[in-house]
Amino acid sequence: MTDVPVSRLRNFSIIAHIDHGKSTLADRLLQTTGTVSDRDMKAQFLDSMDIERERGITIKLQAARMNYTAQDGETYVLNLIDTPGHVDFTYEVSRSLAACEGALLVVDASQGVEAQTLANVYLALENDLEIIPVLNKVDLPGADPERVKAEIEEIIGLDCSNAILASAKEGIGIPEILEAITLLVPPPQDTTQAPARALIFDSYYDPYRGVIVYFRVTDGVIDQRDRIRLMASGKEYDIDELGVLSPNQVPVEALHAGEVGYISASIKSVEDARVGDTITLVKEPAAEPLEGYVEAKPMVFCGLFPTDSDQYEDLREALDKLRLNDAALQYEPETSSAMGFGFRCGFLGLLHMEIVQERLEREYDLDLITTAPSVIYRVTTIKGEVIEIDNPSMLPEPQQREKIDEPYVKVDIITPEEFVGTLMELCQKRRGDFKDMKYLTPGRTTLTYEIPLAEIVTDFFDQMKSRSRGYASMEYNLIGYRTNALVKLDVMINGDKVDPLAAIVHKDKAYYVGRALTEKLKELIPRHQFKIPIQASIGSRIIASESIPALRKDVLAKCYGGDISRKKKLLKKQAKGKKRLKSIGTVDVPQEAFMAVLKLTPSS
Amino acid sequence: MRPLANLFAPIPATSAYIHIPFCRRRCYYCDFAVSVVGSTKRGDTSLTISQYIDTLLTEIAATPLENDGVNDGATYPLKTVFFGGGTPSLLAVPQVETILNALQERFGIAADAEVSMEMDPATFDLSHAQGYRSVGVNRVSLGVQDFYDEVLAASGRFHRRADIMRAVDCLQQANFKNVSLDLMSGLPHQTLETWQDSLQQAIALNPTHISQYDLIVEPQTAFARYFTPGEAPLPSDDHTAQMYRMAQQTLTASGYDHYEICNYAKPGYQAQHNLTYWRSQPYYGFGMGATSYLHSQRIDRPRTQQTYHAWVDQFVAQKGKTNDPVISVQEQVLESLMVGLRLKEGITLNELYQVYGEPGLRAIEKAILPWCGDANPQSSHPPRLPDRPALVHVQTDGQDYQTVTNLRPNSRIQLTDPEGFVMSNQVIVDAFNALEAL
Repeated sequence: MTDVPVSRLRNFSIIAHIDHGKSTLADRLLQTTGTVSDRDMKAQFLDSMDIERERGITIKLQAARMNYTAQDGETYVLNLIDTPGHVDFTYEVSRSLAACEGALLVVDASQGVEAQTLANVYLALENDLEIIPVLNKVDLPGADPERVKAEIEEIIGLDCSNAILASAKEGIGIPEILEAITLLVPPPQDTTQAPARALIFDSYYDPYRGVIVYFRVTDGVIDQRDRIRLMASGKEYDIDELGVLSPNQVPVEALHAGEVGYISASIKSVEDARVGDTITLVKEPAAEPLEGYVEAKPMVFCGLFPTDSDQYEDLREALDKLRLNDAALQYEPETSSAMGFGFRCGFLGLLHMEIVQERLEREYDLDLITTAPSVIYRVTTIKGEVIEIDNPSMLPEPQQREKIDEPYVKVDIITPEEFVGTLMELCQKRRGDFKDMKYLTPGRTTLTYEIPLAEIVTDFFDQMKSRSRGYASMEYNLIGYRTNALVKLDVMINGDKVDPLAAIVHKDKAYYVGRALTEKLKELIPRHQFKIPIQASIGSRIIASESIPALRKDVLAKCYGGDISRKKKLLKKQAKGKKRLKSIGTVDVPQEAFMAVLKLTPSS
Repeated sequence: MRPLANLFAPIPATSAYIHIPFCRRRCYYCDFAVSVVGSTKRGDTSLTISQYIDTLLTEIAATPLENDGVNDGATYPLKTVFFGGGTPSLLAVPQVETILNALQERFGIAADAEVSMEMDPATFDLSHAQGYRSVGVNRVSLGVQDFYDEVLAASGRFHRRADIMRAVDCLQQANFKNVSLDLMSGLPHQTLETWQDSLQQAIALNPTHISQYDLIVEPQTAFARYFTPGEAPLPSDDHTAQMYRMAQQTLTASGYDHYEICNYAKPGYQAQHNLTYWRSQPYYGFGMGATSYLHSQRIDRPRTQQTYHAWVDQFVAQKGKTNDPVISVQEQVLESLMVGLRLKEGITLNELYQVYGEPGLRAIEKAILPWCGDANPQSSHPPRLPDRPALVHVQTDGQDYQTVTNLRPNSRIQLTDPEGFVMSNQVIVDAFNALEAL
């Protein structure tokens, strides 16, 4: 199975925006090449996590090896290396692309190029990939391939005269795509004689076999009997199993330069075999690792607390298990007087955070309180020390602070022209600095802003989508830190300061946020038997206050024989709601309250 | 978990509910199964009503005798019959008689049975009252609601204060000794003053029983479209809670025992039929929208004329059997807790103990002791505040909980009056959560 000359290997990935049909196209390629029989085909084969299938997005990438007999009569091995389609995982995308020589650029023929796609195309160009434009969904009534071709040529400068018109759903253009891959994507360099090196582009934890590492051999040969070394982590392992993905794992004896495969080697945690690390052989190690290895660093932090404090140990175990499979997830114990014991967790971005939270609740059956996400602030104290703060409640007192720096990102938004005004207003409200606006094609615009990351990790994405009726797309990159006039906003419920509700906000927005937040909390916190004051303060100064009136009655009046089932249902619903409340001192607070700061008003 | 069979001592069904779904018009707060017949039609002039009675009789005749596992050879005649509605006082006297005859024939009716009928002022006259009395109705539940005409009008009621007075007079002349007045608090334009006055006027009519229902704005009702609960013209939550306390004070001071969350009775005049529900005992149910509770099955009949007629056809074809699910003993414990705590007498924990064992007692202890008030040393939540009254009272072997370390199967749990009653859901949902976590 591995006896394929380097000249007949083709490694490629698919670059596409969410919903533009990447997964469907991948499925169709697997089917057409006979890699997966029609019988075994389940929709969207590559997206193997439930959350991915439900949301129709790819988070974790995988790979598939296909045999394809081209019109020249030769049989080629095509390796499709899938990429995650979300801004949180840009680094993973870059490593996947580094493992390829070519990429299919799939663009929805009615929608055109989106920001994320553009970012990934630039990544592909940086990696010298051959890019084959594919216009997908040409069968749909709104398709306008000529306009979209012009757009690609304009924006990316890519010749689209040979762009393939396809419909993955209808099977249109699939043979053309396979032919184009063999003709246009260059074969890997034949470096079979060099000391072995392989690039890890993905890994996952299997509870029975340890970590399974996905890699592309760049130089030399890796044999199943070899002992390997991971050049960044320095760890060494005997290979338990070497194989290829077709797309199920099939063991092989050896893999040579250009090939894509997997290794299982009793590696205990993905941390020991991170994406971007280089595999070499202990017997004849390479002198230099492959370029581009970076340890993915969390950008967004939040507190995770079990609703029921008895679940603290369960939460720890669940996080330990998730971490085996997710090297980017960070956490350390956090204790809060209001919330009890929990963890401060770091994530690559908001989606990453949501995925982890959802997996903890779904797969580990935990009831969690998630506090509002925070970024890392750099605080210079009056003594001249610089400390990093990822938790607003840890911010030193004003008299101890010299200044606060916060992370900024460059945001690129691609949008139809008509939404430019409302999106500029959004960016402005989020303390953005306007940098640039360009027409890509008539009617399509790119907006560039520099915005504090803290303003992005709230509901910026949702707001952008709703203001543009779903048409705008965005992409952002960290560009550094800037000093701003930031203050800490504290929240007191029934006279007790509630740490997890503390927020770091710009001085000029503090009043508005304080007022909106207390109003929102009033709405979210159920009435109790006593009146509950809710206050927002900066230091000792109260800037907003509301109060929740006391609950006067909570009784189901008339109840007759025919009414018992219905009344029971009502009470069960009430009971379920109550179970999800977190007791903070004397007040029971619902989960949503801790995210309230993200949802202050629809237009903020 | 213990085995599920024979948990609860089998009790034969000796109560029957008859639903008479006809009304002159629909009140603005009503979401019951009701057919509107307009302001002139009555039971003897409406084809719809007479057809309905026929189907009702068919259903009664097709219903198997339910001794619920009691096979001691004895017969168990009905001890309570309840004509509810709708407006049963729209029926002609012979129609009521036919139904009672059918029940007598099928199940027997005990000589001292309580036979209740809901009646609305302005839907009957003296001859009707005398007629109902003569065919065996011996208790009347009169839908007064309020004594102020503007409140009645704003609630979509057909009657006015003068009709109430006439109705009570008719009932007295017809020799009804057991009359209950239904009152509603929380109606539009009610104030604390008018409510206090309505309570006094009710007491002045010297009924044996008074029900007080706090308005619930149900979805799908006219009120739900017009009003927001707690906002004018509806009284505020503060006021309706106060109205509840006013009723408790005024009525108990006048010799009415607050024996159930919404019900008050002179000694010896508790509503026997409704006690069946609150003690989770089985009962027959007949008619459109009616529910029966037999062999741990709650059977809800369809809520429109047409679907009810079709249901009875099928019921007859299946020889009185239905495929409704049996309520698990765990759910039965939740239900008996929910309805049992409505009674002043409260509940004991015997059934709960049979189903959930010792862990059930500990769980319920953890859930309710915090509500036992300041004096409870174990109480941490809600924290002890001086103005926080106890919602729950616990007794074991006649002693208060302070002297008893643990709840036992024979412990009795009661909601306090009025504070525990008015906050009852808070206690019940904690108990639900405690048991469902097991």
